[in-house]
Amino acid sequence: MQPSSEHLCILIADDSASDRYLLSTIVSRQGHEVLCAANGAEAVAAFEKHRPHLILMDALMPVMDGFDAARRIKQLAGEALVPIIFLTSLTEGEALARCLDAGGDDFIAKPYNHVVLTAKIKAMNRLRLLQETVLQQRDLISRHHEYLLNEQRVAKEVFDQVAHSGCLNASNIRYLQSPYALFNGDLLLATYTPAGHMHMLLGDFTGHGLPAAVGAMPLAEVFYGMTAKGFGLAETLREMNAKLKRILPVDMFCCATLLCVNFKQRQVEVWNGGLPDGYLLSAATGERTALVSRHLPLGVLDSSSFDDKTEVYPFACNDRIFLLSDGVVDTSNRQEELFGVQRLHEVFAANREPHLLIGEIQQALTEFGGQARDDVSMVEILAVEAPDPGTQGVIYSDSGTSTPLDWSATFEFRGSTIRRFNPLPYLLQLLLEVHGLRPQSGALYSVLTELYSNALEHGVLGLDSSLKNDAVGFARYYQLRAERLANLCDGFIRVHVQVVPVGEGGLLTLQVEDSGPGFNVDTILALPPVVDELYGRGLALVRELSEQATWSADGRTACVEFAWG
Amino acid sequence: MSDNHLDYSVLSALQDVMEDEYPTLLDVFLHDSETRIVRLRQILGGPVFDLQELCMMAHSFKGSSSNMGALQLAALCHQLEERSRRQDVTGLGDLLLSIDHEYSAVRRLFDAERQLFRSPLIAHP
Amino acid sequence: MSVTSELSPDGQQLTIFVSGRFDFASHQDFRAAYEGLGSEQRYVVDLRGTHYLDSSALGMLLLLRDHAGGERARIRLVNCTADVITILTISNFSKLFQIG
Repeated sequence: MQPSSEHLCILIADDSASDRYLLSTIVSRQGHEVLCAANGAEAVAAFEKHRPHLILMDALMPVMDGFDAARRIKQLAGEALVPIIFLTSLTEGEALARCLDAGGDDFIAKPYNHVVLTAKIKAMNRLRLLQETVLQQRDLISRHHEYLLNEQRVAKEVFDQVAHSGCLNASNIRYLQSPYALFNGDLLLATYTPAGHMHMLLGDFTGHGLPAAVGAMPLAEVFYGMTAKGFGLAETLREMNAKLKRILPVDMFCCATLLCVNFKQRQVEVWNGGLPDGYLLSAATGERTALVSRHLPLGVLDSSSFDDKTEVYPFACNDRIFLLSDGVVDTSNRQEELFGVQRLHEVFAANREPHLLIGEIQQALTEFGGQARDDVSMVEILAVEAPDPGTQGVIYSDSGTSTPLDWSATFEFRGSTIRRFNPLPYLLQLLLEVHGLRPQSGALYSVLTELYSNALEHGVLGLDSSLKNDAVGFARYYQLRAERLANLCDGFIRVHVQVVPVGEGGLLTLQVEDSGPGFNVDTILALPPVVDELYGRGLALVRELSEQATWSADGRTACVEFAWG
Repeated sequence: MSDNHLDYSVLSALQDVMEDEYPTLLDVFLHDSETRIVRLRQILGGPVFDLQELCMMAHSFKGSSSNMGALQLAALCHQLEERSRRQDVTGLGDLLLSIDHEYSAVRRLFDAERQLFRSPLIAHP
Repeated sequence: MSVTSELSPDGQQLTIFVSGRFDFASHQDFRAAYEGLGSEQRYVVDLRGTHYLDSSALGMLLLLRDHAGGERARIRLVNCTADVITILTISNFSKLFQIG
């Protein structure tokens, strides 16, 4: 029902018949449809019935004057612009002001100049069309906005399933994250490995909104999937980087910090690519170690250039780790100053009770910025004896109808393979095909990892774990480990697996042999448990978790048993 | 004489705008004005002047006469409008008479104008 | 925020000047500056007037690097203010770009 600008419906309200006639002739000669009214009341009625596009209104009329009629018509018109041009022989400024007050958009004086009248009608019509366009676009925008909000709501539901919070609700973890973090590209994931270690990822994708959030989904799947299968940080990092490199556009990437916390062995492995410093607070000395970004963010480098090298730090009982997104340091106040690293360090320095620190940081931010930002993510991990029980899960790939019960296999991993390949997840998956072993998967994995890591570090690489008795030695140990591993050519680790049925159940025998010089079994077994766990061989742990654990006389072969049924 | 009563340039412009409806416009004006004049005479004859109605009528008549080029008439109506508004009743009766006379003059001129547009007399065979 | 550029007389080096905030709003201008050239040229991004670089600016630098030949690209970032150097350090972009 859109007339072109050439053909309008125009209402003429004037109490003088000749004036009405004159005007309606002028107007209809211009191609418009004309309605007439002799007073204000007729004008309002005509407007209600026919909804003309424009009105020529005489100011002074009997029954209801033009001002009143104009007010009512403007009210009836609502948001739409129905231009009213007052026709008047009033000359006083005050009278003209009355026209505008009543809602008139313009006026034309009597006697009429038809050239001026035509021009004003045209001009008013342009305004009318403009208003119409504005309202249409506003409605369109409003509708689209509704769609967008709905899309985001749906997307958020999907994301919440995939990029879920994992084990962030464990008692030794405290975190602060906006509910819309994902839509700022902020990601916080945490979960346990089969061995009871904890993997955590704090990530920050470039950009905002859905484009940023979309990258988080595949990343979370890789993180949770690989961790559950028992892969370590390095392998998980490589996979995540490769995935993001492949699927994200060139200018998108994810700054991230990854941690692997080994509560039993009291250490934490760290990789930081592009995020601000994390902090490790020692409970004993109060010393603060910065976990610095040494790598490019995920999704930038291709696989051959990617650096998965991690740093390992001691993480003794009651030590704390803090990870912060850059929203913390970038919080600005009304003067547009940034909170900055300096102020953060001041909060650290001023703290007297470590367990209050995360609250103090939050407080300082709120006081500084005046209001909470929606892109601040903070997480604190407290070192405890053991992680929450019952939060460990393993992925099963079958429905459980076929299970191998009588078999054995031997694997030999040699020099160059040991360098880059971690066979543990695959071995574990194989063992979990035996259903009877599934309830013990945690223990199984812990033992396997312990034996393999001993075989590798102490056997093949020849590292002396007594180096790990202080922070400096700790760093040195892992540096040596990386060096020797990188240069490894000779040596082997053999893993022999045997499963036999016994009655209703069965027995698993696991043997791990290394090419190293061996060790004096009796001496080590005689060490106090504390010493042994911190930087020993974890042998007590192995014995605790398995049915039976024995070592060959030369210490080069360990043999453990697991039974079920 | 007719210069004071009617501005022929206005009529000329009206002709351009109205084209063949020009005669009809004249008729409408004349008919409308008759009604007004009758009403004015009624008010004149009455015991009390309703100043509000007088003011409004004067205003309206002023408007339509100015549109039709009857400038003198419009000016007189303007005076009537002002005085009624100010509630100045002195000599109002005389003013109303002047308007009446002016209108008569204007009407004669319009009648003459009207003649120009009548269809030609059919010649008798 | 403004982006201007200057090609060396021998046509072998393009210098892109960025000043003000280097953020998403600079996207089109920045790309337009180098689009016509290829991986044969050397590139210099002069950040003397820039105090602020956000992640989309880092993304733009990656796009430039990709355009300029990826691994083989020869790109220098010069006249960086302290704030900019901090951002480039945290993100380890010095491993991809020569910073001066």
